[in-house]
Amino acid sequence: MTLPLSFDINGIKACQRNRHPLLFVDRIFDVIPGEKASGVKCFTYNEWFFPAHFDDEPNVPGFIQVEALVQTFIMSFLSKEELRGKKTNFIGINNVRFKRKIVPGETLTIHATLQSFRRGIASGSAVSFVGEDQACSADFVVAVPDVLDQFKPKESH
Amino acid sequence: MNNLEKYQNVFKESFQFEGDVAQLEYQAITEWDSVGHMQLMAHLEDTFSIELDVDDIIDFSSFKKGIEILSKYNVTI
Repeated sequence: MTLPLSFDINGIKACQRNRHPLLFVDRIFDVIPGEKASGVKCFTYNEWFFPAHFDDEPNVPGFIQVEALVQTFIMSFLSKEELRGKKTNFIGINNVRFKRKIVPGETLTIHATLQSFRRGIASGSAVSFVGEDQACSADFVVAVPDVLDQFKPKESH
Repeated sequence: MNNLEKYQNVFKESFQFEGDVAQLEYQAITEWDSVGHMQLMAHLEDTFSIELDVDDIIDFSSFKKGIEILSKYNVTI
């Protein structure tokens, strides 16, 4: 295995469980498992949400921008062999900032950093750009339930 | 702040709980679920500068049981 790793769409689907129409990253690159990951998402007018958000001014909804960030972020740890294919749950999202509208024809580049992964709880951050312009950023806490379950008490007393 | 106060604060802060923490048990409140358990363990490790073994994390089923477990790490509550 040569670092850093890269993943095409099939590689992404092998690592995480998000699927169309809720998979918002096309390619992952510059991955150091347990440390960082970067991603690319290309938005065309064929995206299902553009006609609805909005018909006269299509732009990427905020929640989808956040999903693109977190789907890149989880690749920073789901790229580890022992975690590939596991489901993830949000625990917390903090410090979300939207700096720029994203419109059809633009490409989002995302850089995510894993600050810690401790017994199934990952924390870190991600920031996205359109060209040189920052678009969105957020801090995340994400759980991997399969790992958490290995540490929970067997019974209450 | 003595160790008992630190220990109580870990529970209060981890679960945002203002009641009698001495009576707390795993799953007795909604906040102490599997996610809350990991947050509690991480908070304890940071507070007392220890690293809990997996078996002790699994055995840590109540406030009272935790006092017993922490004594193995030379943390006297």
